[in-house]
Amino acid sequence: MHNRVAIVGIGQTMHSGRRPYVNDGELIYDAVTKALADANLSLKDIESVMLGNMDLFEGHHLNDAMLSLYSGAMGKPGFKMNTGGTVGTMLAIQGWYHIASGLFDTCLVIGWEKHDEGPATPAITTITDPSVDRPFMVGAIGGLATISIDYMNRTGCKLEHAAMARANASLNAARNPNAHLRDKYSMQDVLNARMVLYPLNLLMCCPTSLGACAMVFASESKARKITRKPVWIKDHVTVHVEYGGAQFGVGEKRWTSHMQAGSTIFKRNHITNPRKETQVFEMYDPFAFAIPSWMEDFGICDTGEGWKLVEKGAIALEGEYPISPSGGVMCTNAIGDSGMLRVAEAALQIRGDAGEHQVTREVKQALASGFGGSYWTDLLLLSKTTD
Amino acid sequence: MKPKAQEELIYLDMTLKMPFKWRTGEPMGEFFRELKANGKIYANQCPKCGRNFCPPVNVCTRDHSRCSEKDKWVAVGPRGTVLTFFISEQSFLVPTTGEMLKVPFSVGIMLLDGAPVTLQHNLEETDSEKIKPGMRVEAVFKPKEERKGNIFDIIHFKTIKE
Repeated sequence: MHNRVAIVGIGQTMHSGRRPYVNDGELIYDAVTKALADANLSLKDIESVMLGNMDLFEGHHLNDAMLSLYSGAMGKPGFKMNTGGTVGTMLAIQGWYHIASGLFDTCLVIGWEKHDEGPATPAITTITDPSVDRPFMVGAIGGLATISIDYMNRTGCKLEHAAMARANASLNAARNPNAHLRDKYSMQDVLNARMVLYPLNLLMCCPTSLGACAMVFASESKARKITRKPVWIKDHVTVHVEYGGAQFGVGEKRWTSHMQAGSTIFKRNHITNPRKETQVFEMYDPFAFAIPSWMEDFGICDTGEGWKLVEKGAIALEGEYPISPSGGVMCTNAIGDSGMLRVAEAALQIRGDAGEHQVTREVKQALASGFGGSYWTDLLLLSKTTD
Repeated sequence: MKPKAQEELIYLDMTLKMPFKWRTGEPMGEFFRELKANGKIYANQCPKCGRNFCPPVNVCTRDHSRCSEKDKWVAVGPRGTVLTFFISEQSFLVPTTGEMLKVPFSVGIMLLDGAPVTLQHNLEETDSEKIKPGMRVEAVFKPKEERKGNIFDIIHFKTIKE
């Protein structure tokens, strides 16, 4: 049996494509300061500190050493995560382990990236086998494009449906002051964008952003003293994949890490109708087909139903099942914090503190996912109560 | 007070140019030797469960048993089926060479006949109207004297009608 774990403090920087006067440490410091202020704590209340990003993006290896100045890790235990797309969710999960074990009462987790300092696509390409895969890989979007083609082929989803999902994300991001891309787009605007990697055009890919997010995790006894609105991490799961085509859900038999993660979480928590029993999903959605196809893979809806729900407007802020009300990864993507923003934004929805992008339905339970890199899928179930 | 300098130096440019070597492992070495010497694509077989791998592996992904070059090899392809693909209309830097990719280019994720594990490679076709999942393709090899024992001994996969 483990101890209960709550999120008691949340802080994030603004996100943008370039901020020439701000360095990586300052970004982290900004997020940490905001998270501590949100929890009404000071650094001396923090027992352990976790930090994460993708080293090669800034060309700075073991940056946790130099950045301890800004993260507040000096003299404290903790470690660095570097799992690519899942860094942010993995940090949240590692924060959970620290508290759940009973060894710590508070843990500060920080995810960040500063994409304007290096070339992201060649850096991502180095995660693959140089002898057979690297020559054909174009960063993350190559894989995402193949998932899109496969999804359209299997279910009859069209480019228009992806454009609808992207247009909806733009309306959400326009309400989120911390989002990077905040222009509003119609479906037609999205379809008119320049083609990058067929079938994904420029607007259907996630941007490269810079920003940081920090959260404070606490044990139950501590959490109840710190805040009147703790958000509980009810469950979480991580699923690794077989390297190769299985990553993209193609091969002899269709299986994806999202499918296994969704079924595990829902079964373990006796959730039979996820669209009723959870009220919002902050999904790691780095391309426009992610929302329809991964709703299906996670088991939020049936196969072939995802794009129909998008068409009906179900994923909108005021819809039947809002997805990524913050605007999601398609509007803001500083990789090391992208996953953590999903958890943070889902927690803000439960607290009712999401401001302009608060969903209209009452949120008691929320899902947050991470995707990519090494540990392919993370899925977290957050709850307003401990029951 | 210190007078403010006129020039703003807020960036330091840096380029990481570091040479690396990558040990392919024995099975991959054998795979490349066959490509070069005989223009044949081989999968290696897990000695325990009998699963074929192309590209070959050193360890079976299913039962974690060790595969060596001395274990059974099975000729696969050169024909196969495209499961999914992408077409790039934007160029990207290739970290293995430091060169920019020539556009447009397309990449297919394929199952070669006889291999249950996918292989990715360039497709000859780059028109999105003409590539469909389920499409049949065949490997086109470089002439023997030009082959170097790497994945580019296969130029690309061309569309075929059967």
